Amino acid sequence: MRNIIIFLILCTGIIFISCNDGTEVEPEREQDMGHLTLKFNHFVDGKPLITDSMMYVNAAGNPYEINEVMYFISDVTLHKSDGTKKMLDDWKDIHYVEIDIPSTITWNVFDDIPTGTYDSITFIFGIPEEKNKSFMFVNPPEDKMMWPDLLGGGYHYMMINGKWLDESNEEQFYNFHLGIGQLYKGDVIDYDSIYAFVQNYFTVSLPDSSFSIEKDNTKEIEIIMNIESWFKTPHNFDFNYWGGAIMEIQPAMQMGKENGYDVFSIGYIK
Amino acid sequence: MRLFIFSTFVFFHNTLKKDLLLFVLFFIYLIPSGLAQQEEETVMLDSIVIQDKKINEVSYIASNYISKKELQNNYTRDVGDYLRSIPNVSGIRRGGASIDPVVRGYKYSQLNVILSNGVKIEGGCPNRMDPVSAHIEAEDIENIEIIKGPFSLKYGPSFGGVINLISENPRPFEKFEVHANVLYGHESNWNGKKVHGTVYGGNKKIYFQLGGGYRNYGNYESGSREGNDTTYSSAFRKYNYIGKLGFSLKPNHHLMLSYDGVHGRDVMYPALPMDEKTDDTYIISMDYAAENLSPFVKSVDVKIYRSDIQHIMDNSQRPNYSFMQMVADVNAINTGGRANVSMQLSKHSILAGLDYENIKKDGKRIGVMTMMETTSINVKNLWLDALIQNAGLFAEYKTFFSSFEINAGIRGDFNRATSGDTLKIINDRIDYFNEVNSQYINLSASIGITKTVNRWFNVSLAFGRGTRSPNMLERYIKLLPVGYDKYDYLGNPQLKPETNNEIDLTLHFNEEKIGNIYLNFFYSYVQDYITANLLPSSVITPQSPGAPGVKQFYNTEYITSKGFEFGFTSPIKYKLGGSVVAAYTYGVIPSITKYITEGTEVIDAVEIKNDALPEIPPLEATLNVYYKLLKGNLVPRLTIRAVADQRHTSEAFYEPDTPGFCVLNFALRWKINKYAEINTGITNIFDRAYYEHLNRRIIGTKTNLYEPGRVFFATIRVNI
Repeated sequence: MRNIIIFLILCTGIIFISCNDGTEVEPEREQDMGHLTLKFNHFVDGKPLITDSMMYVNAAGNPYEINEVMYFISDVTLHKSDGTKKMLDDWKDIHYVEIDIPSTITWNVFDDIPTGTYDSITFIFGIPEEKNKSFMFVNPPEDKMMWPDLLGGGYHYMMINGKWLDESNEEQFYNFHLGIGQLYKGDVIDYDSIYAFVQNYFTVSLPDSSFSIEKDNTKEIEIIMNIESWFKTPHNFDFNYWGGAIMEIQPAMQMGKENGYDVFSIGYIK
Repeated sequence: MRLFIFSTFVFFHNTLKKDLLLFVLFFIYLIPSGLAQQEEETVMLDSIVIQDKKINEVSYIASNYISKKELQNNYTRDVGDYLRSIPNVSGIRRGGASIDPVVRGYKYSQLNVILSNGVKIEGGCPNRMDPVSAHIEAEDIENIEIIKGPFSLKYGPSFGGVINLISENPRPFEKFEVHANVLYGHESNWNGKKVHGTVYGGNKKIYFQLGGGYRNYGNYESGSREGNDTTYSSAFRKYNYIGKLGFSLKPNHHLMLSYDGVHGRDVMYPALPMDEKTDDTYIISMDYAAENLSPFVKSVDVKIYRSDIQHIMDNSQRPNYSFMQMVADVNAINTGGRANVSMQLSKHSILAGLDYENIKKDGKRIGVMTMMETTSINVKNLWLDALIQNAGLFAEYKTFFSSFEINAGIRGDFNRATSGDTLKIINDRIDYFNEVNSQYINLSASIGITKTVNRWFNVSLAFGRGTRSPNMLERYIKLLPVGYDKYDYLGNPQLKPETNNEIDLTLHFNEEKIGNIYLNFFYSYVQDYITANLLPSSVITPQSPGAPGVKQFYNTEYITSKGFEFGFTSPIKYKLGGSVVAAYTYGVIPSITKYITEGTEVIDAVEIKNDALPEIPPLEATLNVYYKLLKGNLVPRLTIRAVADQRHTSEAFYEPDTPGFCVLNFALRWKINKYAEINTGITNIFDRAYYEHLNRRIIGTKTNLYEPGRVFFATIRVNI
């Protein structure tokens, strides 16, 4: 009996020794994290937007007013100088902004952001093709951005609605809407003559968007949409030429898309 | 007495058409006298019981048995509604009809709800507009057996309890006879009418039963005493028919063929995003029973069945219909059977058998959105050729020695599931919805011991372990708000089975002068508890208008629940009698994630420790007092139901507290003669505005769905 006990004690000792090979495994160090808030603001000609007032003149010389502004941005990405990047998609990857809905103006980002210095911020204006699916949003306010299936489906990238004074000085409504474009056979705009769709979303790289994230702190960054820029550089957008509705006019949406690269800027970082 | 007859006459006069009233009165008072002579010659044989032993004969566990008589003594517009009167049985109300039973906080597939000892139904509606209890009319029920806990294993996997709704069977007669009974009932408030009739008869060899019913209810109004009276869109129409044909092949061999059709039309559910447009259920079954085959083999029972449900729901009665039209069309077929043999060897009783269930479910949702004079159509499947098969072997054993009775059961299940889904949701290398095949072997067992202390008192202790595999909804549902909250839910094909380990202690006192008293305590430890977790919108977005996000089912480590049931029933031999019942359940989930939101945005997540389990009913007690007049032919009955506040509510599920309430009901049963009976009364006498904790909220709001206010009801029943 005593031999059995000694044998068992020895076995137990060997098992314990063999389990510990003498090397201490250093636990993986948790990375320090901070948070980010994005604030969206809307300017015209360098001043905060005033809606419902025929007080603006675009580069083509059209007097105009703005009633509504709604748009999506997606795949917001923070870039570090070492090439690493952090996409804001832990909870959501598409953010909707509507000037009349305060909760959309501020995006308290869910993601934990690794601490450090970031060189720049980029995002997609609109929604990339693989994510832009019809019936993706079934609730207000995003659901009203739906883009008809016949015109390519998915959702509007942006709606700017307002009025302009035409050549007769009469008020006309405009819907400066960007989304998936269509290519039509011939000159007739007809659903049956659509032979291809054009993805008009584009990537925006925000100038002067360097910032740092400290541990357990929240950095707030203001992103400004300079609305007048939709109508200039490189193309002057003339309402009198394109009319009030451009959803089915790909050349007009292409002009808006090309004007859009410099629409956004950084306000404050604090 | 004259006053009562007069008031009854006035009530019927106001609710029935004059001609019908005259016919009914004529029928009650005149026809029976003409039939009396014929009835005296009737020799009615025993009912053919094609079922094994009643589960309520098992004394070691908490069970309830409701006879047809008890059902008839109450005004039962909905079986689920009636079940709420049983201690620790609650119900989830989503509309006017089809209240979904909850036992000790366990619901849906955590309960094994069956018809007639084994017919299983896979509800068509993903929102559970049609729980099993909605597929049988109260008038067709012979009795109801409820057994709480994972102890009865012979009817299929049992996790939280068994509810066995046993329909009435035809019986043989010594010589050929035909009988009938008819019922007409009316309820004020929602102007509800129901009619039901049955014709039955036969001889010693062949016997039959044909029946059917129709219910038409309008919208009900909640109580107005607190100034909250609201009319809810809760109308419904249902009709059903049933046909049964029995054969006594030999004196100890019986065969029964049954066919049921249950149909719902325009059933409104204010707490759901859609209403039931049509629901068509067809159930066909065959039962075979042989008894006393040898001194050892006492009986053999075989049942096969098929239930087929076609369920269509839409939002045509909702304000958002003009913008987005939604229709869901689901077909669910459950085919299966069971066979068991009952043996007796000295003091040892053994029941052994096998069962099989094959569930097929297929359904799609069609969304139509109109804008700019164009129409966008979205067709998505809710289930696509989903299949669950479950095969089980079971055995139960019973013996006794000295003053002890021992009961034991064991069950093994092989469960397999698959689906035709092509949906893949993989994000950041996490498989949210990918591999659709799964199979499990589940073992369940129970044992109970009862000590008879003396002829009045016994004590029972029971241990049970019941495992159930995930159901169709939990495995494969795609984006419908099927839970307590308004989120869309996504199935998880790789869910594991959940297991309830439960211990019950039951004290039972029965003395003929004092009455029957029981007190039961239970404690449950549930492993791999199935609950749901919010998914990021970067993974998936909801598809139902009003749903703020998508939740997916997952297994959490464990939860616990505990509680008690108490019941007292006075001896029936006294004129003055009654009952008192009380019940309470307390459930805890040790760790769960709560999502912090700002507006509609999720901005953070925190871990909650020891959170309350959602949807657990509060403490409640019911006092029932009656007095027998006219030799028991006239019985007034007063019922007071008091329900406490529910403040132990889930923080993670944003579950609000519910205020307590007290309601008073009055009923009067008058057995006019051996052929006719009137049941009348008032529920919610003081017109209280109240809602049960489990009632769902009105869709798109934070307003609870209140219970009906004051209701006057009357039922007249004639048997010939």
